[in-house]
Amino acid sequence: MTLTWLGRVGLYVALAGSLAGLVDQFIALRAHRRSTSPRWALVALLGIVASVAVMQYALITHDFSLAYVAQNNATFTPLLYSITGMWSALEGSLLLWTLLLSGLIVAVTRYYRRRNDDEVVGWATGVLFVVSAFFTTLMVGPADPFLHNPSPVLQGAGPNALLQDNPLVAMHPPLLYAGFVGFTVPFAFAIAMLITGRVQDRWPLEQRRWTVLSWGVLSVGIVLGAWWSYQVLGWGGFWGWDPVENAALLPWLTGTAYIHSVIVQDRRGLFRVWNISLAIATFALTVLGTFFTRSGVLQSVHSFSSSTLGPLLIGFFLFVVLVGVGLLAWRGDRLRSAVGVDHPLSKEGLFVINNVIFVGFAVVVLLGTVFPLLYEAVNGGQVTVGTPYFASVAAPMSVLLLALMALAPLAGWRTLDRKVLWNRLRVSAWVALLVVVALAASGVRRPTVLLAYFLATAAAGSALRTLRGAFVSANRRGQSWRSALRGPSTGGMVTHIGIVVLALGIVTSTAYATRAEVTLATGQSTVVAGQYITFEGFSSVRSALLSATQLRVRVGGRELLPAVTTYNGRSGQSVGTPAIDSNALRDVYLTFDAVGGNGATSGAQVQGNLPAGSVVLGVTVEPLISWLWIGGLLVGAGAALSFLRRSHRDEVAP
Amino acid sequence: MKRTVAVLSVLVLVVVSVFSVFLATRHPVSEATNAPSPLLGKMAPPLAGDELGGGRFDLAAERGKVVVVNFWASWCGPCKTEAPELSTFAWSHRNLGVVTLGVVFNDTVDSARAFARLYGSLYPSIVDPGGVIANSYGVTSPPTTYVIDRHGRVAVTLLGPTNAAQLAAVVARVTS
Amino acid sequence: MRVLRSFALWAGALVVALVLILATAPGAATDQTRIAHLESLVKCPSCENISVAQSNATSAVAVRNEITQRVHAGESDNSILTSLESTYGTSVLLSPSTSGLGTLLWLVPVLLLLVLILSLWRLSRRR
Repeated sequence: MTLTWLGRVGLYVALAGSLAGLVDQFIALRAHRRSTSPRWALVALLGIVASVAVMQYALITHDFSLAYVAQNNATFTPLLYSITGMWSALEGSLLLWTLLLSGLIVAVTRYYRRRNDDEVVGWATGVLFVVSAFFTTLMVGPADPFLHNPSPVLQGAGPNALLQDNPLVAMHPPLLYAGFVGFTVPFAFAIAMLITGRVQDRWPLEQRRWTVLSWGVLSVGIVLGAWWSYQVLGWGGFWGWDPVENAALLPWLTGTAYIHSVIVQDRRGLFRVWNISLAIATFALTVLGTFFTRSGVLQSVHSFSSSTLGPLLIGFFLFVVLVGVGLLAWRGDRLRSAVGVDHPLSKEGLFVINNVIFVGFAVVVLLGTVFPLLYEAVNGGQVTVGTPYFASVAAPMSVLLLALMALAPLAGWRTLDRKVLWNRLRVSAWVALLVVVALAASGVRRPTVLLAYFLATAAAGSALRTLRGAFVSANRRGQSWRSALRGPSTGGMVTHIGIVVLALGIVTSTAYATRAEVTLATGQSTVVAGQYITFEGFSSVRSALLSATQLRVRVGGRELLPAVTTYNGRSGQSVGTPAIDSNALRDVYLTFDAVGGNGATSGAQVQGNLPAGSVVLGVTVEPLISWLWIGGLLVGAGAALSFLRRSHRDEVAP
Repeated sequence: MKRTVAVLSVLVLVVVSVFSVFLATRHPVSEATNAPSPLLGKMAPPLAGDELGGGRFDLAAERGKVVVVNFWASWCGPCKTEAPELSTFAWSHRNLGVVTLGVVFNDTVDSARAFARLYGSLYPSIVDPGGVIANSYGVTSPPTTYVIDRHGRVAVTLLGPTNAAQLAAVVARVTS
Repeated sequence: MRVLRSFALWAGALVVALVLILATAPGAATDQTRIAHLESLVKCPSCENISVAQSNATSAVAVRNEITQRVHAGESDNSILTSLESTYGTSVLLSPSTSGLGTLLWLVPVLLLLVLILSLWRLSRRR
């Protein structure tokens, strides 16, 4: 009972801190004085840190007096997966979320402590405390991570097999949640600006580097999620347009629109109300995302399961939208800027197109995700909305975005000077044409692939040209090229290059993947898509944690061990463990599909008509798929570079 | 033009409110998959044991009735959403020649009893010491449900959490 | 509307390249490509959300065999998908039919495209 009590006390302290902070802030606002928000934020943080510490202690020492630990941990669970067990299931994932949020609130209140008599800071802080109070209340109420286990057990169920299969479980959820939590700040300040009417204020612009950092963290989090799925789920894919995946994508889409249109606000004071709307939308979509992941209304490989949280989360979503959009309805028109966009193909115009595309695509993804629910309500039957639908909308959208990436960095503000633009584009345009001709000559004939490479080359060209310009001017100022790399415009170009690499990885691997199922006897070889594959024999692993039957397969000199693994623990799940041979040009992805004969091999299907000792191997060869992960890394690097301040005050014009 | 933002906002507000209410009234998904089990069409393995609430159950005594057997455990997440659905189904079909039975899978008696009490089971569950019954039915992970027809043959195997509607549909097909 | 000579040169080269590529492009849809396309449209009945092309589960293999048989027998795409739907249920198609409620799925992207064009038009009118 002690751990239950300690954990819960931590949560009560956290909630008290948030509520006290909220009350104090409210009083301070009325009295027009400074608040003591940093102190209350710290109290809330200490409370949640204590709860997290209790949970981690219980997980690491395998203390099954907590029901959560009994369900997600076992005595033989390795340390890493005990720690990550905290976010393997619903209640614990809320602990992680609230921890990150509370930490952020401490940072924000400290950063603005000298300005917290400012109304905008005051209201923003209040909003932040409301959000953290909400999430803490969820844990104090229906999603209690510290539920006592009524009957003592000697052994826990262990984590879900797919959550202890790969160390990326330690990176994907924290980064993803950090990204989501990061977007709470623009939201809070957006609300504050609407309430006070001070929309001309420069808060979004001051906070730009932090918003871009959150975006970068979220992007890397999503890419890591795709990489993780790729490595463990066994079908060689990385994105299934699954409801939970879409839920994470929605705020990313509006967030991307936001970080672009804020550039225009910075330069020309436009889009102030639109940016406020985007900030509100991004946070609202984050809450909606948590609803989809935790309510169980949509079937997903990734979702947690609960039926009580659903109404609460959707209620909070509705509350956020009512407040945000209500304020917009009340204040929005009075606060619009007088000037507008002068030319559709000026930089501002291109950013408008960018925003329409991203927000439009978010609407389509949302529609596709909830459509099965809509269909069931209207027609009573079940439908699936899967990859074919989303891909058919994503493809033309991506084409447009690549074209934008080629044009926008080179476009001028306010006007379109055709001569100047073409001069800047000329080299990339020719290189892109040559690339297409070279590809077509070497056998690549699919129009989508050729178009993608054409535009991607142009986009990369524009990014490189901008970078070169930055290096040249740094040189002229006597600075090193390294310092030129820092800052939003150059960082942004590095991110664009990352997106180009990622896009090419997606297009090439999807268009030219070869999938085959081969039956091999021991010692037999085969060739799939130019890869020489030899099955050498069986091997097995037994440990306290798992037992696995592995196949020793040689691919081009390297030995791979696709396996079927059974994790011990009361759930005793068997999962396929794929093996991947990766290089910059292609991945060879192997799965252990079946084994012949009547031998008792753990978990693997036994096919009666195959000779004993032979195996069925799933082989997928995907060209350039590692470019996805490399691209993701570049995207993150670009965001990090954007975040770093230059020693020099000036920026190269974006 | 002057009130564009206000008009758009009200529109968005209405749409989102309808959307939220719609989502709030959806039920969590719990539809089990019809699995190809080697038992299909064959006589159901013997199933007998002591009930959690006292008493004894024997499948052989239920010949002539449709028996829905659900393997569950207190540590199994989806079993929590499934339990009330099973109770609903059991109650609505109690006078229709359908027997609903739970079998505790790989669990302690105390945890199982606590679970049954917490989720208000309206159908009996038996314990399976040594996992003999689970083994003979080929259960690897709960929840798994078997529907045994009136002649004692396994008619349907459902993997994953089921719901009252799905069970009703499946049983209707078995009895027809 | 003076077009730069260097742009004209490049645009000309682009057109030539496109013509050459299209002229030597592979022929119309073969049986193989039809099979691959259909496989990407049908969900593996016992999996979560992946197509039969991407899964090696027994049910997926069964569906793939059926598709291959029917394509070789000369059935149209539509009739193959409809018969799969009647065997496995409406949820086996990864993209709902475009009739009835499904029109919404196609209408909304088209409407958004119109919004894009409209916003561009309004922007150019400001000048």
